[in-house]
Amino acid sequence: MSAPTPPRPVARVAAGLAHRFRVLSLVVRRRRPIGVLLIGTVGYLLAFLYALGDLSIEDTGRDVVTVADPWSRMFEPGSGPYTHEPIALVELEVAELLFSPLNVLLGLGLAILVGANLALTVLAITQPRSCGIGASTGLLAAVPALLGGTACCAPVLLLVLGIQAGSLTLGLVGWLLPIGAALLVATLAYLAGKIDPRVLARADEAG
Amino acid sequence: MAGCLRRPGQANPPSAEADDGVGPPPPLADWSRLVPSDLERYGDRSLSGGVSQDGIPSIDEPTFWSLAEVNYEDADPVFGLLRNGVAKAYPQRVLVHHEIVNDEIGGEPVSVTYCPLTGTAQGFRRGETEFGVTGSLVNSNLIMYDRETESWWPQMLATAVGGPHTGNVLQEFEVTWTTFGRWAEAHPDSTVLSIDTGYLRDYDDDPYGSYNPLREYYRNDRIVFEVFNEDDRLHPKAVVIGARTADAAVAVEKDRLREAGLLTTSSGGTTFAVVHEPTLDTAIVYRDPGDHALGHDGDRPTVDGESRDPGDLPGERVVSFDAMWFAWAAYYPDTALERA
Repeated sequence: MSAPTPPRPVARVAAGLAHRFRVLSLVVRRRRPIGVLLIGTVGYLLAFLYALGDLSIEDTGRDVVTVADPWSRMFEPGSGPYTHEPIALVELEVAELLFSPLNVLLGLGLAILVGANLALTVLAITQPRSCGIGASTGLLAAVPALLGGTACCAPVLLLVLGIQAGSLTLGLVGWLLPIGAALLVATLAYLAGKIDPRVLARADEAG
Repeated sequence: MAGCLRRPGQANPPSAEADDGVGPPPPLADWSRLVPSDLERYGDRSLSGGVSQDGIPSIDEPTFWSLAEVNYEDADPVFGLLRNGVAKAYPQRVLVHHEIVNDEIGGEPVSVTYCPLTGTAQGFRRGETEFGVTGSLVNSNLIMYDRETESWWPQMLATAVGGPHTGNVLQEFEVTWTTFGRWAEAHPDSTVLSIDTGYLRDYDDDPYGSYNPLREYYRNDRIVFEVFNEDDRLHPKAVVIGARTADAAVAVEKDRLREAGLLTTSSGGTTFAVVHEPTLDTAIVYRDPGDHALGHDGDRPTVDGESRDPGDLPGERVVSFDAMWFAWAAYYPDTALERA
């Protein structure tokens, strides 16, 4: 009798991805994690836009002003790394949004990753038998992305941190956002890989 | 070292090799201006400010309002320009988001430029070209580029440090750092740069702090980017009036000048007279005022005991501008300084 053939690397990766998608699909069907996902996503998106300077809290009227040529303007680079020009000023009585579709898209992508990490963390707290992971893992994962969100404008970030920048510091600031995004993806994959979807499914059937 | 491996965060200035395909440069001066370091050093030590070229967009089609159409506070800072018989005010709150306005005044193409990090407002003739913001800095100071030749021009140096015009000098004129109330009173026919810039910004918000009242970056002692030289004779953000010639640089602490009314100082064998102009709370700098006895009677400057207008002193007028002390000392480490 011969030993079973180990799965090929491609098959292992495919199986790993399928496992993680199964976990995430189960998560979004559960009330508490999906609530955390939504709150985390919206909260991070608002914080990201505020850090960029696109969103400000102030007494305004209710109005929308657009630029003359929004389709070309929206692709022009903005005043920070990875940011783009706003095409509309939206006044919402208590807040003002300089609306840049690409900035919102970038923020939303990061925000969904942050929300998903938080949702898995909640799962780790409420379903410890299925996970075997520390509850703080997902929260820690959100830190670099939060920093990345403030990397909108190097001088402003350096003013906040109170440090004098040379070329190396500035180089690092420029990489905060992609590093943060990569870490969020990595921690999300790690957390989802630690969760057994069968335990979650059984808990759903029992509950 | 330009062209060698560059560290992350280090800017990438253009090479000094001539490019036949480029258009006309901005009008160049036929005199030189003090450049204390090797030109190559400014390019090598320039830093990326985290902003791409034109990421801070210049205003290329400015529109203006009458004084009656704006409701700025009297103490709000503006940069006043009186040239070719026309008076215009450029509010700091607008320029902090754009740094350069490519404008015309009395039919003459000019650029009014402002660097928030060094607190410097300077004017340049631009001819057929326009200036834009490179997004890079040297000594924390704005590096401009001209859109025809793409040469790099650090604002305070006003001399190209990269591109085909390396070593050439821009034609510079004075822009007055004053307040809206003072400018409006002195020039009631002036217009004011509007916020219809073609871009959407929160013009009520200054990302660095505030001048009215003075707070955050404009007041604290932080220098955000590395500079060539640090000099603790004054607070880093103390405002000095600076002037330079081909071989000398002088700085006068603005508070000290307000008290004294007139100061004389020497640098590089040249004597300078710096007089306070109280209407706009600015200064006028003269070189080589001669053997006259200069003084101040508490109200106006005096020449050989005779009261004079601040704009009517002997000697040759030299372009001067307000600057944060740390930036002036970074560019001109051997500067003469008059302080309290």
